[in-house]
Amino acid sequence: MLANMSSTPMLEIKDLVKVYGTGPKAKTAVNHVSLSIPKGSFFGLLGPNGAGKSTTIQCITGISQPTSGQILIDGTDVVAEYKKARTKVGLSPQEFNVDIFSTPTELMDFMGGYYGIPAEVRNERIEKLIKRFDLTEHRNVKFQKLSGGLKRRAMLGRALIHTPDLLILDEPTAGVDVEQRRDLWAYLKELNEVEGKTIILTSHYLEEIEYLCKDIAIINHGRIVAEGTKEEFMKEGTSIEEAYLKITRASNANLS
Amino acid sequence: MKINAIGLYTMLRREVKRTMRVMVQTLVAPVMSAALYIFIFGTVIGSQIKEVSGVPYISFVFPGVLMLSVINASFASASSALYFMRFTRGIEEMLIAPFSYMEMLIGLVGSAVLRALMVAFLILGVGLAFGAVSLEHPIWFVFYVGTISAIFAILGIIVALWAEGFEQLQVLNTFVITPLTYLGGIFYSVTFLPELAATLTRLNPFLYFADGIRSSMIGVNEANTTLGLIIICGLLVGLGFLVVTLFRRGWKIRS
Repeated sequence: MLANMSSTPMLEIKDLVKVYGTGPKAKTAVNHVSLSIPKGSFFGLLGPNGAGKSTTIQCITGISQPTSGQILIDGTDVVAEYKKARTKVGLSPQEFNVDIFSTPTELMDFMGGYYGIPAEVRNERIEKLIKRFDLTEHRNVKFQKLSGGLKRRAMLGRALIHTPDLLILDEPTAGVDVEQRRDLWAYLKELNEVEGKTIILTSHYLEEIEYLCKDIAIINHGRIVAEGTKEEFMKEGTSIEEAYLKITRASNANLS
Repeated sequence: MKINAIGLYTMLRREVKRTMRVMVQTLVAPVMSAALYIFIFGTVIGSQIKEVSGVPYISFVFPGVLMLSVINASFASASSALYFMRFTRGIEEMLIAPFSYMEMLIGLVGSAVLRALMVAFLILGVGLAFGAVSLEHPIWFVFYVGTISAIFAILGIIVALWAEGFEQLQVLNTFVITPLTYLGGIFYSVTFLPELAATLTRLNPFLYFADGIRSSMIGVNEANTTLGLIIICGLLVGLGFLVVTLFRRGWKIRS
């Protein structure tokens, strides 16, 4: 169903299961999820709160350990060849996972260093990202003192410092004002269309998904309940929001 | 895949920045304590005590005081850094970056050792300035400070992984490190003790830590050097292996 652009998918998830806890308290957050996202795709991963979106992302990036299944990034196994796999992914997570006493410049500098980028290249990229995300005035302000929108922009800068092939954005525009959101959309489009980056986006703003994404999957109760191109979701003249509500309600009804 | 050298250097750079951010707590306080020890043990108590193991009392005590500061610096650096990263989820920056589990260990331990070395050389400077000690074997001094601080950095990592609250970070320090340090012959010679107490003290690894640093500084030692080296290297390898295993399993750092 997805628009295929290359033989090796940028991301391939095979039968992923993630269970938290053991025994009677065990909770299955991701339940036999399989996905194949081609290179160059702008992919929307939708679902209600607690559906398994963030857990799936955490398994892809190494923050969580999959219980079973396999995840390949550009053909590289994220468990067996984790070091190589991690160089290919950039993450802007839903929750701010930073040292709150660091400034945006330091966040990008340290993260770039962690990815092994030499200082000269790193500094050049930091300057570009600081300018691109309009952070010049706030570049040396501690993260804890920044507004919600500025924090999001600093996180995006951090996710892009090592120019990853796969960019994962978990609610990247939460708390960002309309003007900045539109500006960010334009930038993400450019990253996808001009630079060829594969982008996975989760968002509760369905207009954002409709505007940006080419391919969409809906996850509910840890399972993929629908998957296809944006056009397929909208083929009956419905908006993404209408299609999303219809699908999630149907999947809730099936489960109850 | 090759070693992530820039990543490791970045971890060290970040810790130096963190150390400097709270310089009064991390560097000034240990130096102040060392100066007070020199005053108390050198002038006040030292004037009443004859030589210990053939050296003035302050010279005997000062290496142990330095060791105490080194242990505190490395343990606090590693435990607070990692626990704070867990608390703020900043640890995820390291988890998503291309670090092997061994590199994570080297980076965290190296950062703590760096802070401990800064503290050690500042205190050594104070000791040399006041004539309290000398530095007979500089290479062995760096070796002992480096390895002992690495052991306590690794213990700090284990505690930071285990702790569920800030108070728990102090448990090992309060109930294990401090008692064993004070009972490890820092302030007295093991020859002062009755036979049974002396034998028990020889089972305390802290005796060998203090003795190693003392011998590197003033050339006096009371314990078996070879046994001390075996204990130090054994602890370093054993605890290091344990932490790499915990990292591999993702204990308390990966959900």
